[in-house]
Amino acid sequence: MNDIVLQNVPTAAAEPASHRARTAGSQRVLPAVLGLPIFLWQAVFFAAPLVFLIVITFWQVKSFRLEPAFVLDNWERVLLSSPFQRALVHTLTLSCVTTLLALVIAFPAAYTIAFRLPARLRDLAVAALIVPIFSSYMLRIYAWQIVLSPEGLINNLLGRVGIEALPMLGGAFSLQIGLLTLTLPIAVLILVFALSGIDRTLIEAAENLGCRRSRVIAHVMLPAIRPALLLAATTTFLLAFGDYISPLFMTGSKPPTLSILVVDTVKSGSQWPRASVVGVAMLGVLAAVFGLGRWLGSRGTGKGH
Amino acid sequence: MNLTRLSRTLQYAFVAALFAFIAAPMLVIVIFSFDANRFPAIPWGGFSLEWHRAIFEDEMVRDAFLNSLWVGLGTAVLSTVLGFAAAYVDHRYRFRGKTGFALLVALPPAVPATILGMAMLAFLSRIGLFGRIETITACHVALATSFSMAIIGLRLGEMGKDLEQAAWNLGASPATALLRIVVPFCRPALIASFFLSAAVSFDEFLIAWFVGGVHETLPVRILNLLQGQVNPKINAIGTVVLVISITLVLVAQRFVGVKVAKENAA
Repeated sequence: MNDIVLQNVPTAAAEPASHRARTAGSQRVLPAVLGLPIFLWQAVFFAAPLVFLIVITFWQVKSFRLEPAFVLDNWERVLLSSPFQRALVHTLTLSCVTTLLALVIAFPAAYTIAFRLPARLRDLAVAALIVPIFSSYMLRIYAWQIVLSPEGLINNLLGRVGIEALPMLGGAFSLQIGLLTLTLPIAVLILVFALSGIDRTLIEAAENLGCRRSRVIAHVMLPAIRPALLLAATTTFLLAFGDYISPLFMTGSKPPTLSILVVDTVKSGSQWPRASVVGVAMLGVLAAVFGLGRWLGSRGTGKGH
Repeated sequence: MNLTRLSRTLQYAFVAALFAFIAAPMLVIVIFSFDANRFPAIPWGGFSLEWHRAIFEDEMVRDAFLNSLWVGLGTAVLSTVLGFAAAYVDHRYRFRGKTGFALLVALPPAVPATILGMAMLAFLSRIGLFGRIETITACHVALATSFSMAIIGLRLGEMGKDLEQAAWNLGASPATALLRIVVPFCRPALIASFFLSAAVSFDEFLIAWFVGGVHETLPVRILNLLQGQVNPKINAIGTVVLVISITLVLVAQRFVGVKVAKENAA
């Protein structure tokens, strides 16, 4: 049906002038009409705030008021201060551990979901991974507090069978529980999609050639999903690095992460320039991590940059 | 043979444990919202609707809910319209600065919400937009349009190039073709985008906390409650929030029709 219609239609060649004039005109007007509102919107509510954040790192606070200036004092004071350096190291360590844990847990889970589960269950599993990504992270962390606190559900249960209460809340363990709550669904989802997308004839070929499962995974699957592994790793790192909720509620902000430092500095009154320095430094770290991810992704694929 | 079966069983157990980990916190919230006890503990203190009743009588919670409703609705409509425009421009046209344009829309979720919230507060209060409910909406749109553009972009990618060209050749202007061919084709993605943007807005709390001033959305109310004393109402509010956001996401997913196995069938 479509084919017939297309064949009988006068084509651009048959009716060049009017057609070309019309599309040429609207090729400027239509994209501008469509693209300008969203461009302006993002410029005002996303780009301008970030640019302004960079600008105020050079401003001064005089008698509790923010005043335009060009001083490097804020940068110097923040970057050289030991609370910032400690928080930076702590946050970096934290995010690296989360990334590692997330990948180690997510890969076998995604493998089973993609290759072992029947199609119906697989779709259900994907739905069960998408739902938490868009449903209140803050509430889920609050629930973990109920479960892990000294008088919480787990210790409650342990007490009934005569085991002494375990100190679970307030340390690295609870913090990782929190950060994995945030990152695991996304990491698993990315890897499920990647593994499902692998050309199955490649796997069958390797198996026919006598490869054991472990070799198939190492030499066929992992190289095939390398971009997805990098995406999962960088996304997990990004989320853990910028998170505010788990450090706040799982460890009571001790030791502070960079996000906690930012919010505390803002809350403490007029120190906007210093809070902005911390924020911009965080963006710098994230940009570097993404750059690294891209570089790793382009290496070995033979495509260069 | 037996080893294979053992390995399969272990794999299934691992995935089951993962989903238990993911579901546990949500179940805890819902189950203990119906608990008569003031503090969540085992055993359960008996079934009660006391806390659910209490939140409906709490004026601050009601106001916060209404604020969330308006912000979510506004975000859903605007993000879908703007996200469609962005996805279409990105799909159809080539122009200078196109990568920058796409990044401008796609990037906001990649910036940590604390930093984005702080930056929005600093800039928007400077131009006199601090503390309005419209400001929260505007900031949520900047965030949610990224998701809209992605979903609608995927659908546009499925549309054959010749469909629109056929309409042009039949004499439709590009604008007419857009309205009569492209928009109807994208309808499932537009509906999905509407519900997903609402869900994004309904759950976002840091930006709303920074730029909202005295106007609290529901998640901001929860955040403020959490920083006070233990309050058994939180579980009840949490249950309402979870039910709403899960519904929004599932409806959205129905229209996107995510199927993992699709690529293999092709």
